[in-house]
Amino acid sequence: MIELKHVRCSIGEQQFHYDLQLPEGEIVAVMGASGAGKSTLLNLLAGFIKPDTQVHGEGEIYLAGQRVDTLEPSQRPMTSLFQEHNLFAHMSVYQNLALGIRSNLKLTTQEQLQVEQALAQVGLADMGSRLPKQLSGGQRQRVALGRALVRRKPLLLLDEPFSALDPALRQDMSMLLKTLCQQHQLSALVVTHEPRDALALAQQVVFIAQGQVYWQGTSEDFLQQTDGHIKAYLGENC
Amino acid sequence: MFKLRRWHAFSGFSFLLVLLPLLTAVGAFVSYTEQAQWALYLQDAYTWRVVWFSWWQATLSTVISLALALLVARSLARRPHFMGRWLMLRCFSVALVVPSIIAVYGIILLHGKQGYVNQLWHWLGGQPRSYVYGLVGILLAHVFFNLPLAARILLQRLEAIAPETWRLSSQLGMSSTDLWRHIEWPHLKGVLPQLAAMIFALCFTSFAIVMTLGGGPKATTIEVAIFQAIRFDFDMAKAVYLSSLQILFCGFILWCGLRLGRPIDMFASQGIGHSKLSLRPDTQSLMGKIHDASVLLLATLLVLVPLVAVVIAGINDAWLQVLLDVRLWHAFVNSLWVALSSALLSLLMAWGLVLAQRYWRRHHRLAAEAVEWTGSIILVVPPLVLATGLFIGLRPHVDVFAINLYVVVLVNALMGLPYMLRVLSVAYVKVSSDYDRLCSSLAIHGWQRLRQVEWPILRRPIGLAMALVAAMSAGDLGVVALFGSPDIQTLPLLMYQRLGSYQADAAGVTAVLLLGLSLTLFLVLERAVGGPRD
Repeated sequence: MIELKHVRCSIGEQQFHYDLQLPEGEIVAVMGASGAGKSTLLNLLAGFIKPDTQVHGEGEIYLAGQRVDTLEPSQRPMTSLFQEHNLFAHMSVYQNLALGIRSNLKLTTQEQLQVEQALAQVGLADMGSRLPKQLSGGQRQRVALGRALVRRKPLLLLDEPFSALDPALRQDMSMLLKTLCQQHQLSALVVTHEPRDALALAQQVVFIAQGQVYWQGTSEDFLQQTDGHIKAYLGENC
Repeated sequence: MFKLRRWHAFSGFSFLLVLLPLLTAVGAFVSYTEQAQWALYLQDAYTWRVVWFSWWQATLSTVISLALALLVARSLARRPHFMGRWLMLRCFSVALVVPSIIAVYGIILLHGKQGYVNQLWHWLGGQPRSYVYGLVGILLAHVFFNLPLAARILLQRLEAIAPETWRLSSQLGMSSTDLWRHIEWPHLKGVLPQLAAMIFALCFTSFAIVMTLGGGPKATTIEVAIFQAIRFDFDMAKAVYLSSLQILFCGFILWCGLRLGRPIDMFASQGIGHSKLSLRPDTQSLMGKIHDASVLLLATLLVLVPLVAVVIAGINDAWLQVLLDVRLWHAFVNSLWVALSSALLSLLMAWGLVLAQRYWRRHHRLAAEAVEWTGSIILVVPPLVLATGLFIGLRPHVDVFAINLYVVVLVNALMGLPYMLRVLSVAYVKVSSDYDRLCSSLAIHGWQRLRQVEWPILRRPIGLAMALVAAMSAGDLGVVALFGSPDIQTLPLLMYQRLGSYQADAAGVTAVLLLGLSLTLFLVLERAVGGPRD
């Protein structure tokens, strides 16, 4: 179970307040208008943003029963993946993955093997020596997924990971993500704008509006919602 | 058929203005080559010491300025909530237009024999020492100017690093060393060679600082030696020899700089310091805090304190006496006139050249490139060398002391030209690519095009460049000293004399006035020409 107990924070004028429970081992799509607070939710989970001062019992974050909001970002059992800037431009693909294990890049033979395996799993087996600029946008995101695998953290936080990609490629990447999550029993929160992606990827949808969780349920239910807010967001075609 | 247009005349005039002084100077040098006793000069140990010192002080200044700038930029980037940050960045951005004589004055107030440092040392029981005249003083002054310049450019680079990168690094648990190796260094190293080349060129040709703080046999650069050959030895042949040497070296330095890449824009770092988000994982440790505090304290001592010392020294009883002095007002008016004329002349030169460049860009690429070279002549023939050539070349024909200020304006305008030219040419290329088609479809031509389309886009960069040239010309103490006569004063010259004649209070007041003039010119022109900020 992933649990946020009345976690509040404010950025500038805007107030955010999350009270949320999510099942583990599933892919959850996080949807909502821009500026509604989707990324803020992920940033709070990862520890990139500190919540406002906590009143007792409130503002705590739990993952599989373990309290994580008191931990530094590097100690939290999760891996983030952004739309871009996931890789260090001057490092090879292999080094970018190795960074997920040890930041001085000195790996044991065992760990080197892990990196090779992860590269193979994301379909980049023979590309370890390339630099990020020699890769396509989709391949770069595969590298980032590879690093998430070698880090072996149970929760993935993906902030519009495939938005910059072409529709067909986006579908491929969604399938890859789904397969990897199943193989490694990972949970994932995916911020996305594309209802089709949400349906293809996720069993659950969390809809955020005005800094709060507005609706939560299965993705099939979500697309059939008649609620004004959600209909306005989805548009007429859905 | 070739059709003469108005801009042809304008461009031609600009070319003439740029090339005529150069040809005069070169002509003067050539006419003296027969008199020069090359063999004798080559054996002269003093000359070689001067050459060696020029390279040595420039190398040291560059290395120290850059190393400190790296530390300062990193510490500023790590402390977005540091209280004095805004003030420090503001001071850094005006440091470039502080007249060199003012910086020298501030450094003497701080480090001179009666300076604050020696007073503190004395209070602690030590004997006052004189260390500011010579290499140490020169380095302090060069660091005063170049540390802020470099730190701003490096800070801009650091602030341009994507927030995702910092988040990633905190998730991966990187240490301070890892951050430096994997993030900061890769982002900074690209700009370092050009930055080093720029600082080196500035320090190599630095004149006023070396003249005031050095000048003895142990601390003289080629630039100052040329001045001494003319003013003290009246040895024109030696001045020509040294000038040729300087041209050779400057050409070499420029060539090296160009090989390293496009020159960087000194003022590109305008909008820095706004990033309020601290995402770095390495700012909480005690060692890090102590480190950053010491670095920022050092920067304050090197850059802010000399300026504060100047202002404090200006608070004394001599105000009335100084303000009632007619010579001061003559000097003030002359400086103001020099500043505004230089800025305007520089703009006109640049504009004429850019119009020609725009035309040639379509027809002869090589000619378009030649225009850029023409504008950069001052980088190869530094101000004092050019002035020397003019001095020697014009002496037989006119009273060189009477035309003093015109030469000052001309040389200062040429000094601003490379920057002005680049700013204008970049803006023009942008206007062309954005609006050429739109303008021709709407039939907006000539004057209307300039007024409606080009000016609103060009005025911002023009305002900044003019402000820079004006402020620098107001504080110029190079050409004016070479051509100087007792009748024609400028504020920097007056300041220099008062500094030498132990009129401490009068010097203090003059310094505040000069500093005020430079800063006011810079701020007012930037807004007046550049238009309001959005």
